[in-house]
Amino acid sequence: MRGFLKTILIAVFGISSIHAQNRQLLYDFNEIPQALMLNPGMKTSQRWHVGVPMISGLFFQASTSGVTVNDLFADDGVDFTTKVQERVLDVMTRRDDFGSTSQIEGFNIGFRGKNRPDDYYSFGMYGEMDIISYWPKDLALLAFEGNGGSNIGRSFDLGDLSLRGEMVNVFHFGINRKVNNTLTIGARAKLYSSIFQFQSIKNSGSFRTVQGQDNIYNSIIVADMQLQTSGVKGFYDIVDEDTGTTRKDLTSLFTERVLLGGNLGLGFDAGFTHQLNPQTTITGSILDVGFIYNSNDVWNYTLEGTASTEGITVFLPEDIDNVNNDLWQDLVDEIDEALPHGENQSSYISLRPIKAYGSIRYDFGEGGRSWSENCGCAINTGDGANSDFYRNSVGGQLYMIKRPRGIQAALTGFYQKRVGRGLSLKTTYTVDKYSLTNIGLGLNLQAGPINFYVLGDNLLGYGNIADSHYASLQFGFNIISWNDN
Amino acid sequence: MKKLFFHVLFASIIMLLLSSCTEEQDFSQIDDLSVTPTLASGIFYLESDEETINSAGGFGTFYSQTINFDAFNETYVAERLLEGVIIYEIENTTSKRADIRIEFLDESGNPLYQEAFTVEANPSETFTREVTYGPGGLNLSILTNTSSLRVTGRNLGDATSVSSHPEPKISLSSAAEFIFRLK
Repeated sequence: MRGFLKTILIAVFGISSIHAQNRQLLYDFNEIPQALMLNPGMKTSQRWHVGVPMISGLFFQASTSGVTVNDLFADDGVDFTTKVQERVLDVMTRRDDFGSTSQIEGFNIGFRGKNRPDDYYSFGMYGEMDIISYWPKDLALLAFEGNGGSNIGRSFDLGDLSLRGEMVNVFHFGINRKVNNTLTIGARAKLYSSIFQFQSIKNSGSFRTVQGQDNIYNSIIVADMQLQTSGVKGFYDIVDEDTGTTRKDLTSLFTERVLLGGNLGLGFDAGFTHQLNPQTTITGSILDVGFIYNSNDVWNYTLEGTASTEGITVFLPEDIDNVNNDLWQDLVDEIDEALPHGENQSSYISLRPIKAYGSIRYDFGEGGRSWSENCGCAINTGDGANSDFYRNSVGGQLYMIKRPRGIQAALTGFYQKRVGRGLSLKTTYTVDKYSLTNIGLGLNLQAGPINFYVLGDNLLGYGNIADSHYASLQFGFNIISWNDN
Repeated sequence: MKKLFFHVLFASIIMLLLSSCTEEQDFSQIDDLSVTPTLASGIFYLESDEETINSAGGFGTFYSQTINFDAFNETYVAERLLEGVIIYEIENTTSKRADIRIEFLDESGNPLYQEAFTVEANPSETFTREVTYGPGGLNLSILTNTSSLRVTGRNLGDATSVSSHPEPKISLSSAAEFIFRLK
């Protein structure tokens, strides 16, 4: 039990690595090729780009809307159980969540069509891990307080359990097209290669103990719960066997799954950029509209049924001839039968977390020729109808993501400054359920063909990261060419 | 003005990066976590109508049964049991004085403890008894070694009288509320 609790707590707080997934600093940061991944209809200016393999796009994000690591683990001399009671059990609700997302780009390449210079093609591969767990408030209270004492009569909601996680490798190919001087559109097809996936998102039911009709207490459980997993048992079995080749076997299975050897899925992204006037631009995109069909290495666990018990009951004269002394075991069997828990290997479809971005931007401060003036592609440059022509941009962004318990949104205000041909800075202020003080800073540096960017979120939290509700960092290197050479 | 802006911006970034740190965290505190829920459940309920009691005869035993009962001696439960109470309630609307006895038996059938109740005929109130186990009460080992219960009901009255109550019966209810240490 101790190990189990430790595992749960470490999982809950340790994996806090994704959840919000909002990448507001990167969105519409046109100078960075990876911004195409957030809006395939972004305005592109380069002739081609090549991300430096494995380090072109590294993204880590962690979020918690409730308790922070510091709240619990600060060396403050307060009894740990008291901290859990006061900072978790007493204040967190079922809408609070812990999340974590990380993304590592394997490669990312883009090039402009020779015959169709208005088209910019990009393709690549990236791995993503995404985990979210809502705080199972009633289940936690049941574990910590029990159903007795003041909780007699209380209904514990089994639907409070809601979690989802996956690790997936994504192969993608996108086309970005300048339709005219004011409109750019784009779309990206995605092939998902699942490494593992699990979800327990459609649970319902309750457990309560009330005054019995005959006996003192009647405990009633109504449950319809399911944990679906794919790709998990394969890894578990290797670790469980613990042979001398465990590491090799894990690597081999992981590699196989990365390279389309596991469950597969399809999806797409789409987006646009529309210039309302020379200085005002609106953008929008929708990402990861897709699914994965889980049919290999599937193990699902279910608990479904209704049971109630008042203990062993004997009614005379009805039971006078019942000389069976296994009434206790009969009772246990009866409950077990009424509340079957089982396993199955039924295939299932898991939906990717759909994300949507929108923005409006106002450019100002004419700064002369743009950094991409030499692209030779006649794309999105010149005539002053190009934000690159302006040194400053200010605007707002809206972000939404579909989560197991509904849509989460974030609102961002930003200011971007371009300095010369090589430097661009962006600062954001974001409001969402995790933070009201999220200030981010991003820097993009272009030194010849070498491009480097680093974007950091919630910088005010950096004073004590363990006490931060939200943190994200992304950076990468690319080689970009605007020239024919 | 422009230079000033960037100097300030760069300085801010550098200061933030340099100042990024975290207070000392002590993850071993998790070992100090104490999880001790109170669990409640009905245990045993016996109900008999007056006719059945009469049919056992005056001073006769109208119910006697040994029931397997492993609720507390399951290893997982026994190791985590801290303290608690067993609550008994008896209602009697019959015209009989009665004796109900619950014996806690170990695996070999030896009595470890017994709870005996003598209830008057048609009392005006429900008879209630709370028996504490653990600190300040009976030894928890009685429960953790209990493998079965022997329940006996005996008529302490005659075999003919009938209560004027519309549905005369005698009932014994019991429930447990115990604190467990899960962590």
